[in-house]
Amino acid sequence: MARVFNWQIGREMSYWYPESRPKKQFAAIFDINKCIACQTCTLACKTTWTSGKGQEYMLWNNVESKPYGFYPLAWDLKLLKELGPQGWERGAYQGRTIFEAAAAGERVLGWRPTDLDYANPNVGEDDCAGVIENGANLTVPHAVWFFYLARICNHCTYPACLASCPRGSIYKRPEDGIVLVDQGRCRGYQECVKACPYKKVFYNPMTGTSEKCIACYPKMEANLQPQCFVNCIGKIRMAGWISRPEKAQADNPIDYLVHVKKVALPLFPQFGLEPNVYYIPPVHVPVPFLHQMFGPGVDHAIQTYRAASADPDLAGLLGLFGCTEQVVPRWRRQGDAVIGMDESGREILRVPMREPIYILPAFDARYGVVRTNCP
Amino acid sequence: MRNPMQTSMTLILAKHGLPSAIVEALHLQAKQAPPPSPWMGEGGDGGEKFDDPTPTSVLPRQRGRNVCCGLLLLVLVVLFLGACGQRAPAPTAEVVVVSRPAIPADPGDAAWQDVPVHASPLLLQDMVEPRLLTASTGGVHVRAITDGTRVAFRIDWKDGTKDDLPGAARFSDAVAVQLPTTAGADAPAPQMGEKGRPVEVTFWRAAWQATVDGRPDSIAELYPGASVDHYPFDAASLEKGSKVQQEMAARYAPALALGNRMAGPRERPVEDLVAEGPGTLTTAKATDSNGRGRRTETGWSVVISRKLPQGLEPGKRSQVAFAVWEGSHQEAGARKMRTGWIPIVVEAKK
Repeated sequence: MARVFNWQIGREMSYWYPESRPKKQFAAIFDINKCIACQTCTLACKTTWTSGKGQEYMLWNNVESKPYGFYPLAWDLKLLKELGPQGWERGAYQGRTIFEAAAAGERVLGWRPTDLDYANPNVGEDDCAGVIENGANLTVPHAVWFFYLARICNHCTYPACLASCPRGSIYKRPEDGIVLVDQGRCRGYQECVKACPYKKVFYNPMTGTSEKCIACYPKMEANLQPQCFVNCIGKIRMAGWISRPEKAQADNPIDYLVHVKKVALPLFPQFGLEPNVYYIPPVHVPVPFLHQMFGPGVDHAIQTYRAASADPDLAGLLGLFGCTEQVVPRWRRQGDAVIGMDESGREILRVPMREPIYILPAFDARYGVVRTNCP
Repeated sequence: MRNPMQTSMTLILAKHGLPSAIVEALHLQAKQAPPPSPWMGEGGDGGEKFDDPTPTSVLPRQRGRNVCCGLLLLVLVVLFLGACGQRAPAPTAEVVVVSRPAIPADPGDAAWQDVPVHASPLLLQDMVEPRLLTASTGGVHVRAITDGTRVAFRIDWKDGTKDDLPGAARFSDAVAVQLPTTAGADAPAPQMGEKGRPVEVTFWRAAWQATVDGRPDSIAELYPGASVDHYPFDAASLEKGSKVQQEMAARYAPALALGNRMAGPRERPVEDLVAEGPGTLTTAKATDSNGRGRRTETGWSVVISRKLPQGLEPGKRSQVAFAVWEGSHQEAGARKMRTGWIPIVVEAKK
């Protein structure tokens, strides 16, 4: 094993291959607070990529309710249990990653779901974390909680799938950091299925190979955001490129939210993969639960997000989410407008900080009708 | 329960190369598992003994013979033995490829009966991650026949579970034969060869055998209750089998589109591969080999036939290795039971 640096856990760690970062790294931000679990992203992906034979059960994108929703069943709890209690200290992870906790003879600590684990993709949907007592009424903060977690492949900097493949059939593209299974070379050993802690590689019994989210790379190559991003009803997602923390650029939307404002956090950073989908954590959920899921940056992220209304840059940038199919690698705020730009600084789109309000008279004289907003 | 008396009788008979139907009849009377092999090997974990799973059990089963018939046969057998004094070939220390006018395609072919058996224990693949650290299959019994240009191996091993369905966390039983591309005593590393010194591997898989034997590749075969609304490439507007339809189907099966042999179409239950070390296994330009596997009462009996490797002619020697994957033990790829190199000699043409 080589020694590599993982900035998300603030230390060096062991990995099967030496550190080799791509020229650009695909990254995404999901604002959990805006997700309504409509599953439009799931269907957008499903119809685009996994309508084939053997792909029936595959959900490269899924949305599950936390704490009781999982796809596959208990994907996170099983691994957390196997890993055992671990700790953080002053932002640095003191425990073992899944590479460091691998048993003798293994490359990665993992487990392999069976078909039964995939049988209930909507298990736990909308289930609250707790019982609603008789007489309970709506208060803030809520007495009980749940939230929606939309998930795709994290296109990790240190992918466990890639590390686990004994024949090098999985590769991370040097040009954009997207992780792919070489469908010409894979022999379906399912080592990657076992190793990926997020369970985002799926075995196709009809082709005898394992398949996974490809970050819609044909679209990303054309500077277009993936299908699950552009079809998102809640506009919770933004795709782009992330820099290493020491090279963060404030005019890069992903860098700004992850490195500058630190409002978006990796999912289970303690596993050690340096995942590249970053989540703005839900503000209404008990922090200890979120600590386990998103690491020690949760308190700061929630505080920052709650204060976004007083931070025009942050609030403005969040307004760019879901407003264009194009990838927006640069941005700036100009007064009451937020401008998305391409790499050369050319304007792609301009979004007002606040949508203008139009007040129409109750009676439309032109058409001679009474306007009403009541059914 | 095993009847020790009958066991020893069938054992003696098998050892003396009796006509298989006679041995079979006695076997069936005993209504028991085949007898333990006279040639026992050490299991991969250093302790487990493995039995010969092969004797006649791949032949068609004939039930309902009565004890009288068996006794009569026994008398005949004893007379026969006394008359000819013939003995079955003793287990060999190496794989002896016997010369015959033709190579049998089926493990149940009578041509296998007088072929010497090499019994080899299997070792854990515990050299390269991911390793197999818990032993499964104890050993293999190997027979080999050549017709001068091709060689057929019959490999038998014990396996209590039939694993031939594909699926998530499901693995197929499988076996492979490995030979150095260039025959000779100085073989490359037995672990899949070395850079610049390749090995040739022929791989048989139970799931492929099931497909070749007629099981359709569809989700309904795996899950009889499954219902699928629609596959885009099966739309009524597309003429089935047309170029447009097939192109569309390939778009939803990238491995197939790229010509990955794992994705089929499957005409043979075997695949030819080459390797130059662990992790380098690559599909050969074409699969020339063939195979046929059958489930026996105790496990699998598989014939793998291929052309004799370069330099391995009648009268010449080389090395051969075998590997077995136990599906119910989640074995695939590097996680396997295997042999080291075993000397192989091709009998001179008779």
